[in-house]
Amino acid sequence: MNALRRLGPALLAPVLAVVVALVISSAVMAALAVNPFDVFSVMLNFGDSPSQQVTAMVVIVNRAIPLFLAGLAVAIAFRMGLFNIGVEGQYRLATIVAAAVGAAVSLPAPLHIGLIIVVAMVVAAFWAGIVAVLKVTRGVSEVISSIMLNFIALGTASYLLTGPFRGSPEGASIIATADIPPSGQMPGLNGIFDVFGLANPPRQLYGFLLVAAVVGILIAVLLNRTRFGFDLKASGMSPSAASASGVNARSMVIKTMLLSGAVAGLIGLPDLLGNTHSYTTDFTAGLGFLGIAVALLGRNKPLGIALAALLFAFLDRSLVPLQIADYPSSVVTIVQGTIVLAVVVANEIARRVARRSAAGGSAAPAGGPTAGDGSTGVVPTPPPGSTDQRQGAQA
Amino acid sequence: MAAPGVTGGSPGAGAPAQGAPYAVELRGITKRFPGVVANRNIELRVRRGEVHAIVGENGAGKSTLMKTLYGMHRPDEGTILLDGREVTFRSPADAIDAGIGMVHQHFMLADNFTVLENIVLGSEPTRGGRLDLAEGRRRIREISERYALDLDPDELVEHLGVGDRQRVEIAKVLYRGATTLILDEPTAVLVPQEVDELFGNLAELKREGLTVIFISHKLDEVRKVADSITVIRRGTTVGEVDPKTTTARQLAEMMVGSELPSPETRTSTVRDTVVLELRGVTVSTPGGRPAVDHVDLTVREGEVVGIAGVEGNGQAELVDAVMGLRPLAAGSVLVGDQDITAWSTRARREAGFGFIPEDRHRQGMLLEGTLWENRILGHQTRPPAAKGWFIDRTAARADTERIMKDYDVRAPGPDTLALALSGGNQQKLIVGREMESKPRLLVAAHPTRGVDVGAQAAIWELLKDARAEGMAILLISADLDELIGLSDTLHVMLRGRLVGTLDPASCTPEQLGGHMTGAHGTAGAA
Ligand SMILES: Nc1ncnc2c1ncn2[C@@H]1O[C@H](COP(=O)(O)OP(=O)(O)OP(=O)(O)O)[C@@H](O)[C@H]1O
Ligand SMILES: [Mg+2]
Repeated sequence: MNALRRLGPALLAPVLAVVVALVISSAVMAALAVNPFDVFSVMLNFGDSPSQQVTAMVVIVNRAIPLFLAGLAVAIAFRMGLFNIGVEGQYRLATIVAAAVGAAVSLPAPLHIGLIIVVAMVVAAFWAGIVAVLKVTRGVSEVISSIMLNFIALGTASYLLTGPFRGSPEGASIIATADIPPSGQMPGLNGIFDVFGLANPPRQLYGFLLVAAVVGILIAVLLNRTRFGFDLKASGMSPSAASASGVNARSMVIKTMLLSGAVAGLIGLPDLLGNTHSYTTDFTAGLGFLGIAVALLGRNKPLGIALAALLFAFLDRSLVPLQIADYPSSVVTIVQGTIVLAVVVANEIARRVARRSAAGGSAAPAGGPTAGDGSTGVVPTPPPGSTDQRQGAQA
Repeated sequence: MAAPGVTGGSPGAGAPAQGAPYAVELRGITKRFPGVVANRNIELRVRRGEVHAIVGENGAGKSTLMKTLYGMHRPDEGTILLDGREVTFRSPADAIDAGIGMVHQHFMLADNFTVLENIVLGSEPTRGGRLDLAEGRRRIREISERYALDLDPDELVEHLGVGDRQRVEIAKVLYRGATTLILDEPTAVLVPQEVDELFGNLAELKREGLTVIFISHKLDEVRKVADSITVIRRGTTVGEVDPKTTTARQLAEMMVGSELPSPETRTSTVRDTVVLELRGVTVSTPGGRPAVDHVDLTVREGEVVGIAGVEGNGQAELVDAVMGLRPLAAGSVLVGDQDITAWSTRARREAGFGFIPEDRHRQGMLLEGTLWENRILGHQTRPPAAKGWFIDRTAARADTERIMKDYDVRAPGPDTLALALSGGNQQKLIVGREMESKPRLLVAAHPTRGVDVGAQAAIWELLKDARAEGMAILLISADLDELIGLSDTLHVMLRGRLVGTLDPASCTPEQLGGHMTGAHGTAGAA
């Protein structure tokens, strides 16, 4: 009963959001003279043979791994009320540098992979650290600086790709870094299909799944069980109360952004290590922005983010079948977009419902980003007419 | 339990003697929260044009009842009647339309807006679809004049003291056409002079035929200003009493069944060892004006050093400077003979600084956090909260339960969210967690703000015991009895400077009040 009461508000908003998104996108599809039920059945159709079905699931999980990492990176910063919009630039820059370093060296397999992972994390953390330093020394909003740094990162990445890190021959249709040698490639996990007696699909299930799972658990423990996690959560809930409790707001911003960046550095690695083995002009883009949506939907909790990542990956997988069935693939984009909008709206509705059932609006904190996890499902909004309930003690 | 003057726990329904219906009548109001019944079968009858006080201990359900009347939530049972007609409010907007206005315990003004902007916010006057500030200004002047509120519409709110801010809140409510005003603990943050001014305003409102309902823990005050008093205990009405025939002592007994406390200190326990020393401490505001101006101060073991002053004269900045929350423009802070000016807040906390902040919502609590999280806030690096790098949830929860029991924090359990606690119970939790960490130095800003008379006595007792055991206490308070009664040394702060030192053994609240406003010059040995 207790668990249900705790989970109730946490689950309410995301479920509501998905339902609302489905309704809205059905309406849009109907307006476009597309039968939404046909579209949904294409989306849900994983193929006829067991091999096809397992392949579809592998595609979904492979896509979910980077989405999960992206959501996690965004959520870490979100928890203390920081918006790391720069995840996109952080992982792109990190991936190309890691790809180049990985191709340039030759080491025993575990070390080689380890080096690539460390390089990616360091580069992305460095890039995120710039945002943090600008914020604590110059008071620059992290939203603005991280957007700016995205442009610089993307520009730098294409310069590196066409210039110093170019590995593909002159005149090749796709520009790429040199291939990472086999010692730096991560083996797949397809062995487990044999264990369970399932059809072994032609696609490899990324070995990075294990890394992502470990990272997810570590971050969950760090956020929920450690002193650092407590300071982070406190800073997100009330910066003024956190400082009064002895949290150094500046160093907290720097540590959090470095951590968020380090996780962002991992986003490109499942594809790099498990599939492409080089960074190319058409390397998966946009994961950083999708990560924001995934973190929102997952309410900044690792488990929620994993579920949200799977949902988004499921939607992404249906792109190809939809095109084959001659439906506009923008349907998927519409569903994803409406989910993001619906999440924002649903969080607000869930908040009001929770408030009606528990809080009478007593002692509501002022607005602002409601960082924090789902366990604080009751986040009352100030009653109408109030602008700031925190008394300005500096006055 | 019937005290003299009680006119009966449930007077006959209907109208008062004159025949006119009650301005506000609440019948059988019950309001439940998960795990608590905040209000049970409450009866309240308020005549038009009277000042009606509501008293009761912390968590008795006063704020909850007023929020019901203001439409912030709906009662589970019972009815609300205005002028004899039954009404249902779905939101505060409905209540405002019906002429009810509420000034909350915690101010809700935007600092960087002018008085005018704050007042019209949310009900902007328009002409032809455009904002008509001239009209708003005219109406505010009119309201200000009519009720003697003395407001300048174009003043920035951040330049106003607490008393003025409160009048802005009242004007905001009147601007929306309220005929019944609810004031939740309006005097908790005011010094006596400001309280007198407020009561002058209330008398003015009454003369204009407005009805005022107000909540307070200061019983003398209540008896002075109220025409009738409703006493609430543990969520239900004890009865309505006549302030003229009831003493403060009888009121307190009806509320909690305990005697009125007095903060009289026993013999001096001041020892020689200096714990905290401030030398020429100066803190400047962003504008460059010093908020704290060359303050020298010493607190010894077993000593309570009180700082008296009208709110906004630098006390908040001084406290921040001691806790390391604000950089010093000049001067130094010493503990023993160690210079700690450059120490972080955490280092100070770990060196044994306890802190009860003046604004518990801003600096003392994570409202969206659980009680156990709030128990460890500020102590998250030490047992029972921490085990190495980890948070020890089990120990933290257990210790929270112990504090809740020892300090009478009334709440379902350690996993309750802090925002579900009544103001006084939040305060008791803060006092409990700070006292339990056994600090060497306790910086206590308004330690009994918002707690009922019973809890106030208990906190005073705790502070006295701790002092006897050698704790050094820096006490900032707006309650002059508390300051005089607890302090061993009493400084007066005015415009950022310590302008005088009084002997708490011989000075009266009236004298102290005079010094605080600068009326007495800088008498006393500084
Ligand atoms: N939003 C809420 N959720 C759960 N319980 C609540 C909520 N608001 C109040 N309560 C509970 O209802 C009871 C009455 O609270 P209320 O705030 O009305 O007390 P109060 O009389 O105003 O006390 P105080 O003098 O301390 O301000 C308390 O036990 C409190 O814990
Ligand atoms: Mg209250």
